[in-house]
Amino acid sequence: MQDFRKKIVRPVVFCAILLCLLMAASAVMSALARTNTDLVQNRNKSMVELENEPADTIDVLVIGDSESYTTVSPMEIWDKEGIPSYVGGQTGQKIQESYYMLKKALKTQKPKVVAIETNMIFRSQSAVRGIKETLVQTMLYYFPVFRLHNSWKAWVTGEDKRSQTFYKGFVLRDVVEAYTGGSYMKKTAKTERMSRITRFMMDQIVSLCRKNNIQLFLYSAPSPKNYSFRKHNTMEAYARENGLKYLDLNLKIKELGINWSEDSLDKGDHLNILGAVKVSDYLGRYLKKEYHLKSRKSESTYRSWNESLIQYREAAQNAEKQAKKKVKAGS
Amino acid sequence: MAYHQGIYLFCFLPFVVLVYALTPRKIRRAVLILAGYVFFWSFSRWLVVYLIGVTTLIYGIGCHMDHLKAEGKKKAKEQGAREPRTFIKKQYKSREKRTLIAGILLLLGILGYLKYCNFFVTNINHILEMSGRSVFLQPQTLLIPIGISFYTLEAVGYMADVYWGRIHAEKNWAKIALFLGFFPQIMEGPIGTWNETADALWECAPVRMENLAQGAIRIVWGMFKKIVVADRLYMIVQMIFEHYQNYHGVMILVGAVSYTLQLYMEFSGCMDIVIGSGNLFGVALPENFRQPFFSGNASEFWRRWHITLGAWLKAYVFYPVSVSGIVKKWNHFGREHAGKYLTKMGIFALTLFPVWLSNGLWHGAQWNYIFYGMYYFVILLAGEAVAPVREGILKKFNLNEKALYWRVPQILKTWVIIFTGEMFFRANGLRAGLHMFGSIFHGFELHRLWDGSLLRLGLSVPDLGITVVGILVVTVYDILKEREMLNWSKLQQMKVPSRWLLYYVLIFAVILFGAYGTGYQQVDLIYAGF
Repeated sequence: MQDFRKKIVRPVVFCAILLCLLMAASAVMSALARTNTDLVQNRNKSMVELENEPADTIDVLVIGDSESYTTVSPMEIWDKEGIPSYVGGQTGQKIQESYYMLKKALKTQKPKVVAIETNMIFRSQSAVRGIKETLVQTMLYYFPVFRLHNSWKAWVTGEDKRSQTFYKGFVLRDVVEAYTGGSYMKKTAKTERMSRITRFMMDQIVSLCRKNNIQLFLYSAPSPKNYSFRKHNTMEAYARENGLKYLDLNLKIKELGINWSEDSLDKGDHLNILGAVKVSDYLGRYLKKEYHLKSRKSESTYRSWNESLIQYREAAQNAEKQAKKKVKAGS
Repeated sequence: MAYHQGIYLFCFLPFVVLVYALTPRKIRRAVLILAGYVFFWSFSRWLVVYLIGVTTLIYGIGCHMDHLKAEGKKKAKEQGAREPRTFIKKQYKSREKRTLIAGILLLLGILGYLKYCNFFVTNINHILEMSGRSVFLQPQTLLIPIGISFYTLEAVGYMADVYWGRIHAEKNWAKIALFLGFFPQIMEGPIGTWNETADALWECAPVRMENLAQGAIRIVWGMFKKIVVADRLYMIVQMIFEHYQNYHGVMILVGAVSYTLQLYMEFSGCMDIVIGSGNLFGVALPENFRQPFFSGNASEFWRRWHITLGAWLKAYVFYPVSVSGIVKKWNHFGREHAGKYLTKMGIFALTLFPVWLSNGLWHGAQWNYIFYGMYYFVILLAGEAVAPVREGILKKFNLNEKALYWRVPQILKTWVIIFTGEMFFRANGLRAGLHMFGSIFHGFELHRLWDGSLLRLGLSVPDLGITVVGILVVTVYDILKEREMLNWSKLQQMKVPSRWLLYYVLIFAVILFGAYGTGYQQVDLIYAGF
């Protein structure tokens, strides 16, 4: 009997207590992060701030890597179309992170549309790395203490001065570094490889959206450095296979009015505020037209959005001014 | 899948333990061998064939030497007279020796080619450049199997032990495969001898709860050293060693001390994970560290730091050289012509030189590693040279070697030796090491320790605080261990509530204060690169 207690009961009790402690620590850290988002590292901020959004208020959720949060400004879309959107993008977001970002969002939100920026789909993952990443992200999802464990540092030292201001997941960037490489979407029938684990995770995202009656659409942000016609072909084929809409903005540079000597943040990798405004305006119109999303500007639930808009507009105008100054200085 | 990564700790290791626990003893051996090859494959893919090749080679050589031994004995017995008997014995011993040398040359030749080929190419190119030639040798792109420096030494040790008759050649290939390919040991050792680990591994003891508990907590302790302390010190080390031209005086010392501590925390932490992993399977792997910072001299330091490498060099380089012809000849010559003291010093130099040259070369193909080996050779030689003076002082003033007034200055002196050695070891080349050493003496500026300069080395105040606390925790543990007040078995005897509390505190210290995730860089294991 004593042997049974020692061999079975004790380890089970030890593990059960550990599990409870992990859950408690996760809850405490999440609550702490939600109360003061300045405690959170910039990369995790969009996820924490998304949790802070009032329930069922986001109609469009954008997810992806840095190409997502440098191209879509939710406040611009709100201002012009009245559609409440949010960018749950992260630097170098992996497909597994996108999946769990969506899962996390669905805990409190019921978006009508989820837009996936496709750049991260081409970040190659070997089978081993993919499995490893999936396990890591699963653990981070269920035990956020592993993600937010660093928060104590900002809590000890006070506010993190390097902390960025997020406008519904978007960050204003006024740097201008022109792209001078010319045309980059040269027609070809070739395709770019999508790794097996990425395809599997994308299928999971598609099925999660279907299960929740969410319309999923894929878009590629204008980025000469990252996109090619091969990637376009792959995404078009994937969208067709799954009955999804795919919008490649790299083929709509003229329509968008992108001027690479002004709108590029870093030599054709990302867009700055000037480029982001153009893409956001286009996407806002597209979302309204394709998905019949209505304006919520007059709804009382969204009063805080109009207040945020005033702050955003002031900061955005400054950023635009700065960017234009830099363009002039450059030319 | 390095030992400190989640995929090893939370997936691979628990899975292997589970499969091992659920299978009968005979199959457990296959489970461990297969796990070793899968682990190896995760780093070096198809180069796993090399490990299998080494296993087969030493198996064959061992069996052949055993066969020669038996045949020699049999043929000698058949001879009636003593003289032909001795002749046959010698003949067979010589054949055994040739077999051993062939095996060692093959293994060390491959190791040497893979590790030092480009080193020689670079140096020959330098010489050609200096002599004005325009012909250069092309450096090779070589794939080096993971852990080659570690299991090559184990393989050489096995063959030598068979040759010396310390062990019988193993007739079961799988037992050798398990000895060389036990996955916790592949990457960073400890470098075990056949007598130390082979039988325990082959025994494949059933999984026991006390072993699981002891192994698991030792792994957590290793993680604490690695990701709470070492990975933070890495930032300071990177900043100073990669931009050494910007630092001088006390800041170079900060770099040297930080690197020494980083290396200790990381390597000993990794050993805790490795030995803890072994514990899970009921295997007691040899210890590699024994509170090295309590050493009173350089020689003692090397008996406490990377113990298994020191022990290997002692057994397979020092002893053979000690009984070699050249040492015997010098001993004979010295006694007649040089006097007792010089003869002793000569023997000391002749036996230690190859040991420390091998130590330096083993670490890698860089001049600063060779310098590092020679540095300890000179220090140990100097220590031996002044030993009579030291003993004279102790005797004359009736001093107690074990008393604190003697021990503490000795320990501090050893620290200076250690920190200086590690500075050269880590420096980006010998030239950089010499530059750093020289710049210690320019603009010492002690005030940099408290004027905020330390906070410009890449660590924030909380990170620096955690690093200091972490070092203190490890120091307290090392003091308790040195005084034999604490060890891993004693920990198991503590009452359940206090033991569990300690475990939870340690686990959460790693989770909350570990330098992992956003804002930190994942730092590879240093010794995995050797």
